[in-house]
Amino acid sequence: MLVIGAGGAGMRAAIEASAAGAHVDVVCKSLLGKAHTVMAEGGIAAALGNVDPEDNWQVHFQDTMRGGQFINNWRMAELHARESPDRVYELETYGAIFDRTPDGRILQRAFGAHTYRRLCHVGDRTGLEMIRSLQDRIVQLGIEVHMEVTLTRLLKEGDRVVGAFGYNRIDGRFVAFRSKAVIIATGGWGRTYKVTSNSWEGTGDGVAMGFDAGAEVLDPEMVQFHPTGMVWPPGVRGILVTEAVRGEGGYLTNSEGKRFMLEYDPKKKELSSRDIVARSIYKEVEAGRGTEHGGANLDVRHLGADKIKKKLPSMYEQFLKLADVDITTDPMEVAPTIHYAMGGLRVEAETGATTLPGLYAAGEAAAGLHGANRLGGNSLSDLLVFGRRAGAAAGAYVREVGLGKIDERQVTGEQQILLLPLSADGRENPYLLQQQLQQAMQDGAGLAREEKSLKTCLDRILELRQRSARVHVPGSRKYNPGWHTARDLRFMLTIAEAIVRAAIERRESRGAHWRLDYLEKDPSLGRVNFIAYNEGGHVKLKTRPVPEMPSELAKLFAETGPSSPASPPPAASPPIAQQVRT
Amino acid sequence: MSTKSPSPLAGEGRGGGSGSPLVLQIFRGETNSGAEQRFEVPVVEGMVVLDAVHYVQANFANDLACRWNCKAAKCGSCSAEINGRPRLMCKTRVDEFGDREIHVGPMRAFPLIKDLVTDVSWNYEVNKQIPGFTPAANEPVPYRMLPEDTERVYEYRKCIECFLCQDVCHVLRNHDDKSAYYGPRYMVRIAALEMHPLDTRKRTSLLHGKAGIGMCNITKCCQEVCPEHIKITDNAIIPLKERTATDVYDPVTRIARKLLPSRAGQPSESPDGLAGATAPQRFAVKDVVRLKSRGRRFARVASVLPDGKLEVWVLHMNGQVQHWAGPKIVRTSDVTNNYGPLDEVGIGGKLVEQYITEDHAAEQHG
Repeated sequence: MLVIGAGGAGMRAAIEASAAGAHVDVVCKSLLGKAHTVMAEGGIAAALGNVDPEDNWQVHFQDTMRGGQFINNWRMAELHARESPDRVYELETYGAIFDRTPDGRILQRAFGAHTYRRLCHVGDRTGLEMIRSLQDRIVQLGIEVHMEVTLTRLLKEGDRVVGAFGYNRIDGRFVAFRSKAVIIATGGWGRTYKVTSNSWEGTGDGVAMGFDAGAEVLDPEMVQFHPTGMVWPPGVRGILVTEAVRGEGGYLTNSEGKRFMLEYDPKKKELSSRDIVARSIYKEVEAGRGTEHGGANLDVRHLGADKIKKKLPSMYEQFLKLADVDITTDPMEVAPTIHYAMGGLRVEAETGATTLPGLYAAGEAAAGLHGANRLGGNSLSDLLVFGRRAGAAAGAYVREVGLGKIDERQVTGEQQILLLPLSADGRENPYLLQQQLQQAMQDGAGLAREEKSLKTCLDRILELRQRSARVHVPGSRKYNPGWHTARDLRFMLTIAEAIVRAAIERRESRGAHWRLDYLEKDPSLGRVNFIAYNEGGHVKLKTRPVPEMPSELAKLFAETGPSSPASPPPAASPPIAQQVRT
Repeated sequence: MSTKSPSPLAGEGRGGGSGSPLVLQIFRGETNSGAEQRFEVPVVEGMVVLDAVHYVQANFANDLACRWNCKAAKCGSCSAEINGRPRLMCKTRVDEFGDREIHVGPMRAFPLIKDLVTDVSWNYEVNKQIPGFTPAANEPVPYRMLPEDTERVYEYRKCIECFLCQDVCHVLRNHDDKSAYYGPRYMVRIAALEMHPLDTRKRTSLLHGKAGIGMCNITKCCQEVCPEHIKITDNAIIPLKERTATDVYDPVTRIARKLLPSRAGQPSESPDGLAGATAPQRFAVKDVVRLKSRGRRFARVASVLPDGKLEVWVLHMNGQVQHWAGPKIVRTSDVTNNYGPLDEVGIGGKLVEQYITEDHAAEQHG
């Protein structure tokens, strides 16, 4: 079987499938160990209860559902909350070492919208620890990893996915994999925006490939803005400033020196959920109380230099080196940055199976767990819990089926698409088109959206799609990033269109999706997820009822009082299944 | 140059002066041939070399090959030689060069693929030869590891695998002898495994043999270029050299170490001693602990002596049969972990037979 992507989810899936006896090939676009998981800083959310013994999976489950504004898949949230502690312990058996309590257990820190101190961490380089541990395990198990290979098309026999096709980045040769099952673990699509914490790899290619092949894309409009990205100088705009800064006690002030989160969320303050903090910073800037470069100040000076250097070493280094700011003596300037895609391929909670036989998805590329807003730290645990589940399910599936047949026409068709930019006499520059797309998304489908901005954005996407057919790249197929960008651009355009179309139809504000023309939540929309699907090469939209929570889980929320602003929609009312025209 | 004008703040107060463009000489070529090509890039405040390379890629040379990912010095992809020095492009500010031209070339210790991209696959092959983390089969999960025992490992685990240390290493670079030495990166990896509190494997014969630790002559170039500031030579290579020397060349000590698990007569290993002196260990009778000495055996506390030392019984496995041998006196610094009371830990719960033997051999020296 084939795993596309070697971040946390892909590697965890490969480990599980391999343990189940499957022969696994892993493909990744970069070198092994460079995937975007490495950028995760703050920690892994798991209700171990090491620091706050009151914590348990039920509370974690509730926090996750509340954070996601109840359009999450409850079953995924349940599995995630129940299983993440074991996944964390397991990671230590691969060689990871988290920061520790004085009595030798895993230390946990506070994070936004988590009721208890729950994030297992290693300073502010948790993602590195995780990726290195998984990487070591992969090597120990002898799993084959094909580095610097980009896959661009899923190969199908009838409805079933039987392999994938793409190219080797180094020499440009085409590669085809024939496999009984494919797991998509390709991460998100932050690169469709201009100001993002994502690396070049976040082009949404795995999800777009799945979409092209006929799988459903859930909640594409839900794009998370991390409240704190770097603002200045321009070269570093968007680079992540970990939430651990606030978890360790950092606070936000505006240009008047006022700690504004006391007003927006007096209870959780800076550790409110990411959507709320991001919006608060945006509002402060809009009201003219922003910092010099349009952000807010994030202050940790009161923690003292020693604690800062011990708990936030890479933040200290990052600001000192890239922005000439010593965070032990000066505040950091921060503003929201695109960080995470809550949306992705629609999967079955238990198995990660998509709507296509033989195709699985896990991690950021899959959707459902986080709903309208992801809590910090839930991503790394998502990778482990659902990476393992997808690996196990695909591993079982490949025992039941034989190899499929590769359709040569699909292969030659994709070859033509790939070769076009090298041979065509077009004039469009793939990088500049990509920049224009990023600008369009930033302007029209950003943190604050409205019908008009979204429609303008859609027009620009459709125009760019036309122009993308005329992209030309000089040089050969040998390690040619321009050529690679030309294909990435097509994926990004597909994803961007899905984001914008769904964002137009969600005429309400919910979680990360903030509509200036519909500031309130619409209860009827709170009972549906939007699904983008492929119909003859066009992005179409439909709705699907949010899965209904069983009463024993719904009860958990009832206990916290009916007046709670974030309680689930009444379970009894029939879900709306309206069809949206596009 | 018909490029967008730089921001008004560009170059202000920096070597760049009045917004004059940056001159970049980027190596371009494939496999065996190539030369520098000159580009002019408008300067933006805070610009790093990778920004400049991206600008060239987007505007002048779409097919310019370079690796990068995070652009925040966390992934170690964009390694290159900048004005002759191995560095990360994402972490190197252009303003530190003033008005000088910036020369950007590929890492030279590895075969060139194209432009700034080299074939680093050798590193991944080396990595496969290192036996991975090997905990004891009966190590209870979740692991208990005391902070003072994990502290030193963090430094090694900060490594982002940028391979700049491999690039600058004389053995790998000048003599081009990659068969003789694994290189600094893998000394760091082996150090991380060797110092892991729960690892049970010995890698000193590997270090002495194939890994070639003897090839390193401690010039410390590797730790100078490390973007994560890992003291590669001081904290990884030298301690491993000592360990290897002891195991390979000093059979007397080796045997003594076997016979004297409490490490009497080894005052040189002060880091452990120091850590032990301040360790906030809390021990009670019947606690299960793990010993730091060879074999890393489990032991259970029989009593806590007035001077703080522990009287323990050491667990020896013989198939399914467990022997608790002792009593033996150990210092708290000889113990890596406290798992808590025996009944809770569960060791002994699955006993088939249990022997308590009086075992005097050399134990009383401690």
